[in-house]
Amino acid sequence: MEERKITEAESIEIITSMISRTKERLVKGCGNILLMWGYLTIAVTALIWVLLVTTSNPAVNWLWFLIWLIGGISTPIMAKRKRMETGAMSYTDRLTSNMWSVVGFTAIASAILCLGFLFIGGKDSWSMMFAFALIFVPMAEIMQGLVIKEKSLIAGGSIGLLIGLFTMCCISAHIALMATWFMPLFIVAFAAMMIVPGHILNSKAKRES
Amino acid sequence: MRELNPLLHSQLRLGVMSILMNVEEADFVYLKEKTESTAGNLSVQLDKLSAAGYISVKKGFVGKKTRTTARITDNGRNAFVEYVEALKQYISM
Repeated sequence: MEERKITEAESIEIITSMISRTKERLVKGCGNILLMWGYLTIAVTALIWVLLVTTSNPAVNWLWFLIWLIGGISTPIMAKRKRMETGAMSYTDRLTSNMWSVVGFTAIASAILCLGFLFIGGKDSWSMMFAFALIFVPMAEIMQGLVIKEKSLIAGGSIGLLIGLFTMCCISAHIALMATWFMPLFIVAFAAMMIVPGHILNSKAKRES
Repeated sequence: MRELNPLLHSQLRLGVMSILMNVEEADFVYLKEKTESTAGNLSVQLDKLSAAGYISVKKGFVGKKTRTTARITDNGRNAFVEYVEALKQYISM
C-alpha cells in the first residue's frame, strides 16, 4: 500500500475494508484457557474425592489450592501467548479479560477470608468456595457468552449457575455437601462450564481459520 | 465545505487509523498484514501519525524479539471523526 493521493470514494472504501478486515474472528486455540481450567479442576476434584472416600482425612482438602496455584500461573502465560499470536487486542478482549480478573481477585479474597475464619475463628467456611466457584465463575462465563455471542458459553454457564444456586440452597438449609454426591456434581458443573464450551470454541476456530 | 485532513487523506495512514479505531491495540505485524504494506512504508507512516499525536507507539521486547504496538489517542479519535464528517459532505455533494 503506497502513499498516494486518494479520492473521497477511495477513502470510504479503505475505511470499510479495514473495518471488515479487523472484524473479530475466533482465534485458533481460543478455548484452551477454558479447557485448562476445566481439566485441572476436574482432575483435582476427582483426586480429592477419591482420597476423601478412601482415607476420610479432611487434610486432603488443602489440595484444592492446587487449582489456584496451577491455574493462576498458567492463565497469564496462556493469555499473553494468545495475544501475541493475534497481534491485536480488541475492546471485547479487554472487557472479558478484566471481567475474569475480577473473578480471580474475588477468588483470592474469598480464600483469604476462609483461611481467616479457620485460623482466627476456628470455623470451617470452605463450602462458600464451592458456591463461589459455581456462582461467580458461571456468571462471568454467561456474560462473556453474551458479549461474544457464543451459545455454548451461555448454556454451559447456565448449567453451572443452576448447580451453584442448588449448592447455595443446600448451604442455607444446612444440608451437608457430602463428597459422595457433591463431588460428582461439581465435576459435571465444570465439564458443562469449561470443557464442552472449550472444545466447541476450538473446533469453531479451526473451521474459521 | 471543510477541508479533508491531509494527514489522514492518505491510503496507508487512513488504513492504519481505521484499524486502530476498531481495536484497542495492534502490533506492527498485525498492521502490516491488514494494510498489506511494506515494513519500511508502514514504519514511516506510523512515525508521522505518532508525531501528529494521533497514535501512541510503544516499543517493547517479547523474549529477544522487539514488538511495536500502536493505539489511537483521543486526538487521533477526534481527528478521525472529523475526517469522516468532512468526507460525508464531499460524498453528498
